[in-house]
Amino acid sequence: MTTQNYDLVIVGSGVAGSIVAYQLGSQGKKVLILEAGQEVPADRSDYMETFFKANAKTPESPYPPTTQDPSASTQDNPLGLPDPAKENTPRYTVLQIGAWRNPRQCYFDYTAQEPNLSPDSPHAKFAFASSYERIGGGTTWHWLGTCLRLFPHDFELKTRYGQGVDWPGGAKFYDALVPYYEQATQHIGVSGDKQAMDKIYSEFGVSSNGQYGSEYDYPMPGIDPSQVDNSFNVPPVTSLTVDDIAVSITPTPQGRNSLPGKRRQCAGNTNCIPICPIQAKYDATVTLAQALQTGNVDIRYRCVASNIRLDDTTHEVSGIDFITYDTQSGIQTGSGTAVGKKYYLAAHAIETPKLLLMSNKNKGFPKGVANSSDQVGRNLMDHIMYLAWGLAKDPVFPYRGPLSTSGVESLRDGKFRSTRSAYRIEIGNEGWQWAANDPFTTLADFVFGQDASQTNGSTINAQNQPLKFDSNLPDNAQLFGAQLVSTLNGIYTRQVRLGYLIEQLPDPDNRVELSESLTDHLGLPRPKITYRVRSDYERNGFVSARKVSTEIFQAMGAREYTTTPPAPVFSGDPSKETATNFEYQGHRFTFYGAGHIVGTYRMGDKKENSVVNVRQQSWDHTNLYMGGSGLFPTVATGNPTLTIAALAFKTATHILEDFS
Amino acid sequence: MSSNNDMDNFIALSAVLTGFNANILRPFLDPVDIKSEYLQVFFTRIAEESGDPKLATNILAKFAQLNGQTNPKLNDQQIGEEMLAPANGANFVLACRKLIFMWYSGAWPTIIPASATAPETTVSEIISAKSYTCGLVWQVMQSHPMGDSNFRYGYWAKAPIPLSDYTGN
Ligand SMILES: Cc1cc2nc3c(=O)[nH]c(=O)nc-3n(C[C@H](O)[C@H](O)[C@H](O)COP(=O)(O)OP(=O)(O)OC[C@H]3O[C@@H](n4cnc5c(N)ncnc54)[C@H](O)[C@@H]3O)c2cc1C
Ligand code: SF4
Repeated sequence: MTTQNYDLVIVGSGVAGSIVAYQLGSQGKKVLILEAGQEVPADRSDYMETFFKANAKTPESPYPPTTQDPSASTQDNPLGLPDPAKENTPRYTVLQIGAWRNPRQCYFDYTAQEPNLSPDSPHAKFAFASSYERIGGGTTWHWLGTCLRLFPHDFELKTRYGQGVDWPGGAKFYDALVPYYEQATQHIGVSGDKQAMDKIYSEFGVSSNGQYGSEYDYPMPGIDPSQVDNSFNVPPVTSLTVDDIAVSITPTPQGRNSLPGKRRQCAGNTNCIPICPIQAKYDATVTLAQALQTGNVDIRYRCVASNIRLDDTTHEVSGIDFITYDTQSGIQTGSGTAVGKKYYLAAHAIETPKLLLMSNKNKGFPKGVANSSDQVGRNLMDHIMYLAWGLAKDPVFPYRGPLSTSGVESLRDGKFRSTRSAYRIEIGNEGWQWAANDPFTTLADFVFGQDASQTNGSTINAQNQPLKFDSNLPDNAQLFGAQLVSTLNGIYTRQVRLGYLIEQLPDPDNRVELSESLTDHLGLPRPKITYRVRSDYERNGFVSARKVSTEIFQAMGAREYTTTPPAPVFSGDPSKETATNFEYQGHRFTFYGAGHIVGTYRMGDKKENSVVNVRQQSWDHTNLYMGGSGLFPTVATGNPTLTIAALAFKTATHILEDFS
Repeated sequence: MSSNNDMDNFIALSAVLTGFNANILRPFLDPVDIKSEYLQVFFTRIAEESGDPKLATNILAKFAQLNGQTNPKLNDQQIGEEMLAPANGANFVLACRKLIFMWYSGAWPTIIPASATAPETTVSEIISAKSYTCGLVWQVMQSHPMGDSNFRYGYWAKAPIPLSDYTGN
């Protein structure tokens, strides 16, 4: 199978791929998108149905391929995870974190742990904690919708703070990105509170004279803060300082409609992750539909890019090989080569480097396409998350509204960044859902007399406060009737949760490689991941997050329930090996993934130490461009997608320039 | 097998154990009809798990007897205590507790006994797409199922209506 000649061939229909397709298609260029996953469904009711039925409501739970099958559960596969070797588009899921050492359940291959590591060893390897989708429209199906810009200081981490690397051009990168941030904000339809953000911007070196963009404002007013937000936004909390910076609570700019518009107004389904039932939240299917409506964009679903071909003399890309299938576990149904004048890779930060590395049969590029610098796959980062949770003294009514409506942005930059990671703090509206799998854990506790939530026993927290919710009840109380109602209501309506998105440094040894032994059902190698939380810089970020949460909870009169994880296990039976626990400075931590997969084909100003230039164009192959958070030299402190979108608009401009 | 009578007893017992009014569990207009699904699951699973095909029927019969008692008439609290009394036997009490869990979560629970390293825990299996959204947990927190809200923009900035409006009690 061959394809007709296109101007541009794109791999991946997520937000990056769809924006570039839309921009090029609007300008009359003929575009082909190769999309590995299934088509965007005509309506989302099937996805909703799958979500409702899923026992574990993980981000991936509504989407194909199926993440678990309880009827297939066995002793050594209690969740009934499908075998990635038998799937055509397997992807990593949150449920696989616990099974990370078992390649029959986990898509990723991991290298062995070194022997005899101490519990606080920086050499300890962990499961990667974030996941992504492989379906039409990509991962924004289940993003939260947080739409923050990065700041000029984020782009000069090395120059200012002596950490990591700078982005090419440093702070000038921000100036160049401003018009594209504008465009991205308009396109996604961000709801934001300009006044609140102005204050933050000015604190972080962004002046209002032009640097916001001439017409700078959000397309829609900010989303109303929740009752949970209000419980944090009180003087005892806002008078706290962290490394001399005041804790200020800011409404979060979000890609969800605060007014009816092209999409519906948010109805507060509290389900943005994993799926917004009414599409009040932006996702890339919106852009994909616009791209297809230009009449110049074609998409091929169930079409997995497997190899990039190069011209031996010019080193330009001459085609992208693909494999097709019909059903997730069925046989390969065809193969072919997509040919265009230019190419844009947007398969996200694990699958894009995998594709580049798999393309290792071209003359002169034995380490893979675009990889003369040996940087492809390196510097894998995430916002490593620290979670803290508690019970407010009065009801604050969580589980209402978008999953998060406010956060602390004021701590995203400061002098402290020469010694520890910066972070933003997200305030959760979903009670202890993420922290403790509630409402179900607390329910089971009071129905069956257990104490997994710590509200039904005699546990004392690190501040010496008893955690039993009602001191009149015996330990492990089993309730019914009116008393069950009042106890559950008392607990559920007081639950609060903080999430710290801790900056991770680029570490060349944290990387994506090709598995030597494991493949998917199409015979393509699976990603081999090495992931550490190695630097004191990052670990100091955890120490700060832990201390600050306790101070915040105390200031608001809440009782902290954050649990201390078990001691990490780094040797012995691999199935018992710790996935995401470590020790540091005498404290034990568990980290979580933020879903922000960053850094595996970074941008830079030198061919020797980066994969693409400041135009997101491969140093090695002039007709090859890349998109997505894999481009980011550092993870910085804002959620990545607004920046991904801005960069996609920017790249589209460069590709159009290069056509003319 | 269940009958109309079973359904009446099942609802009345469920009201006592859950603390929600029978009119909430069995609304006058009930297009969703989750109660029928639950009654069926209750009968099947209890028989399977206890190995006693009559246990569910016995539970409803015991309830009917307590509920019908007139001299003295028992209140909900007293009936609940009698139903959950250890003297009824471990399987009987566990079945009643599972009934509570099912109404609240829309899922059927399995208890994993304590081991040398871990305390007793519960895992559960969602019964159907419908049951997840019908879970009383969402009502008892004065909210709505995640992913299925009938509210409008901005409701989250205000306090919810009183708990009694949700429980009917
Ligand atoms: C739970 C969660 C919450 C998040 N919340 C936020 C948030 O609030 N704010 C924020 O900024 N970001 C958030 N993110 C991150 C955000 O979702 C991603 O940054 C973004 O979706 C990435 O877009 P992308 O277009 O680069 O990649 P994707 O959307 O992942 O798209 C990649 C596409 O490539 C396709 N593909 C993969 N391999 C191949 C192949 N071999 N051939 C052909 N096609 C292929 C895939 O099927 C997919 O469609 C969140 C992520 C998660 C997991
Ligand atoms: S709160 Fe609900 S309606 Fe609003 S964006 Fe999230 S899921 Fe959609």
